[in-house]
Amino acid sequence: MSAPKTVRLTIDGRAVEADAGTNVLRAAEKAGIAIPHFCFHPGLDVEGSCRMCLVEIEGLPKLELACSTVVREGLAVRTTTERVRRARRDVLEFLLAEHPLDCPICDKAGECRLQDYYDLHGRHPGRMLEPRESRAKKVPIGRGLILDRERCVLCTRCVRFLRQVTGTGELGVFERALRSEIGIFDGTPVDNRYAGNLVDICPVGAITSEDFRFRTRAWFLTRRPSICPHCSRGCAVSVESRAGYPLAEGERRVYRIAARENPAVNGFWMCDLGREGRRDIEAGRLSVPLRQGRPDPGLSWTEAAGEAAAAIGRIPAGERGEKTAVVLNGRLTCEELARARASFVDGLGCRNIFFADSRPGRADGPLLTAERTPNLRGAVAAGFSPRLPDLGELAAARVLLVFGSRLAEHHGGPELARALSGGPRTFLFAAHAGPLDGLAEMAVPVAVPAEKSGTYINIDGLAQAFDRSLEPAPGGPAEGAVLEALARGLGLDRGGGDGR
Amino acid sequence: MPETAAALLPADEAGWRLEDYLRRGGYGTARRVVTTMAPGDVLAEVRQASLRGRGGAGFPAGAKWGFVPQGGSGPRYLCVNADEAEPGTFKDRLILLRAPHLLIEGMIIASFAVGIRNAFVYVRGEYGPAVRRLEEALAEARAAGLVGPGLFGTDFGLDVVVHRGAGAYICGEETAQLESLEGRRGQPRVKPPFPAVVGLFRSPTVINNVETVATVPGILARGADRFLGLGLPKDGGTRLFCVSGAVRRPGVYELPVGTPLREIIEVHAGGLPEGARLKAVIPGGLSAPVLLPGEIEVRMDVESLARAGSMLGSAGIVVIAEGTPILDVLMATARFYAHESCGKCTPCRIGTSWILKIVGRLRAGGGAPDDLDLVAGLAEGIKGRTLCPLGDAAALAIGAMAAKFRGELERAVAR
Repeated sequence: MSAPKTVRLTIDGRAVEADAGTNVLRAAEKAGIAIPHFCFHPGLDVEGSCRMCLVEIEGLPKLELACSTVVREGLAVRTTTERVRRARRDVLEFLLAEHPLDCPICDKAGECRLQDYYDLHGRHPGRMLEPRESRAKKVPIGRGLILDRERCVLCTRCVRFLRQVTGTGELGVFERALRSEIGIFDGTPVDNRYAGNLVDICPVGAITSEDFRFRTRAWFLTRRPSICPHCSRGCAVSVESRAGYPLAEGERRVYRIAARENPAVNGFWMCDLGREGRRDIEAGRLSVPLRQGRPDPGLSWTEAAGEAAAAIGRIPAGERGEKTAVVLNGRLTCEELARARASFVDGLGCRNIFFADSRPGRADGPLLTAERTPNLRGAVAAGFSPRLPDLGELAAARVLLVFGSRLAEHHGGPELARALSGGPRTFLFAAHAGPLDGLAEMAVPVAVPAEKSGTYINIDGLAQAFDRSLEPAPGGPAEGAVLEALARGLGLDRGGGDGR
Repeated sequence: MPETAAALLPADEAGWRLEDYLRRGGYGTARRVVTTMAPGDVLAEVRQASLRGRGGAGFPAGAKWGFVPQGGSGPRYLCVNADEAEPGTFKDRLILLRAPHLLIEGMIIASFAVGIRNAFVYVRGEYGPAVRRLEEALAEARAAGLVGPGLFGTDFGLDVVVHRGAGAYICGEETAQLESLEGRRGQPRVKPPFPAVVGLFRSPTVINNVETVATVPGILARGADRFLGLGLPKDGGTRLFCVSGAVRRPGVYELPVGTPLREIIEVHAGGLPEGARLKAVIPGGLSAPVLLPGEIEVRMDVESLARAGSMLGSAGIVVIAEGTPILDVLMATARFYAHESCGKCTPCRIGTSWILKIVGRLRAGGGAPDDLDLVAGLAEGIKGRTLCPLGDAAALAIGAMAAKFRGELERAVAR
């Protein structure tokens, strides 16, 4: 494919270059000129119905839609003229005339296009004396989504998403004129694994998620970019957390995870499994270090790493490679895996290196892969051949280092207990609690992916670096720090490590 | 013009059957066109005739046909718009009832000119008898080998499907009609692309009004120049004027394009009833801005009416007599557009219903003169901002009533 042809046009007198085939709205956006819009979404077909993006185009008598006008050489677009401003204000006046103005109890407040655009382009007094239409305000439409028909501006992004992206088509527009409303067909609810995107793309508070409704306000949230760790697609996500307050009952660290645009991987979307990943960050965490299965708040991870290194050191030098076993996992970053390889394979000559991860699921087509771990490609790139250990291989070791809690998903608790009792001295470094906790000599909490920085290689071989999107839970280091401490304890430290 | 009157719209339904139509020389023009002419020559003839669309927009039919891209192997479609729903308009129904074969013959010629093999007729849902008549006529034509493959011994064929709408005004808008034909909600599409390029099932499509298509055989039969001579240089031929309201002889009159409105009302429709005085005329279907008695010298053609600040539209003339409260007319108009707005785009969906709410309040006696400014302002807010022309139509019709009868409305509101 040849490179797209470039077209030169002017927007508000500024010379702008755009790829042939793009619309005026996107070309302006790229040049830093925001044209307000509700129905247009770059991931969906052009609808042209909200009429908010009307602009002036030199030589044309009427205002034209920035969303449906394709750029042409020499096109002269104006977005700030009195006619354009007047049109924007009129469209907003129409929308707000039938809007409930319940921003104080609306979850979209603070990130609502209608609210933002009124502030920027409206600022008109209300002129409608007649009562507004009253409509259903909490219609469950499936997958934990709630539809508020009074807030809906009928942009049909939700309808188009379900037709054009998932192909499931659960939502439609019913009735006509002012009676038009979004709804499901004959009681058949929205039922697909991408439904959460409807909340992201709804430009107003018409579709909200039960998981988020009434929990916090958008302006309290800190949004940080991250990579979803729940399958090997590596979707770009935004981790939205609330920091700076002590956690009271009912409060969360992470209020939601939303999709972030990445044309190379996920476009604009993510799956619901990834969104539910917010629970993985908070729920089921190993919160207190354990010694012989009993909580020991005084046990630090540095002590655990030091003890583990010392235990390996006590194995006669010639047998260390043979008698040490390590269970890694696909949530470790490329950097952590490289460190693990340097220490255990290159340093100790260890041959017993295994991987334990979530069981594979089914790939569902659009994004979700069968692999439910983010960095198995990274493990391969680091020179590992990931495979599960059998119990005999674990029992034969004198020292066993386990990273992650997933081993217990593959071997039952009693079997693991039998294999490990009287066998290896076991050290566990895990973000989540599990049956292994009680079997290890020491078990200390570590970070989840959102709490660390590094690189993941996705199913298509794309390496994506990411930064920590969340302050780690106190005392929960990234495995990278643990691996570094182990290397130091084993006398294998090569310096240059990242203490996190 | 008795000859042309008989050519387009017979006086009654008696002679609609194929045998009658054939006796009058029916399908002879189609036969001659298909067997002896090149498609390009047919198109040239229609262009030469300055045939403007009879549906409402008045777009030159020849130009519309010419927009269909030449070449290409995919299908092209003809869609005959029989969704006649503009208030004050009832001519297409009469064509379907009285001269269905004339329409079919027109479809054959138009399809031949554009290289179309499949045609649809989208008939307004309420037109039960008319749609049955068309189906019967099509059955006759099929049985006689006048519709179907291999017409007149050539390899040109035409298949026709009749589709009955469900009674939505919006489905008269061409792109909404295509959506409806495809089985979706009847709502307009963003243009461009225009239907001539991307139309029905994403294929090039010609959409013409029933009368437009039914006019085509006459043009080919008697020649473009003869047709052109009947009307005006840029707006040829005769058209069917529907006259309703306060006249002695309401009905459909076939008259030359450019006939003065006063002549149509006073001569052809017999003038207003005894003792009635003219108050207003809606000249081209409800969407055409209302004219005052002093404005009816206007000639009934697309450009003259545009210059007069109104439009020829569907040529549905509604005559309103003194004594009819304009607030009632405004209310009926506002109710129509608020009811028929498809709801897809914001200004039309909310603007028309907001206007209705205000007018309803005014009529109930709860208004202030400022409300009239608000109505006018809301109409302005709709105008030029909507997805399809029907928003403009609502805004222009309502805006003109509010402006031209401002005095009467203020008095009515003050009472």
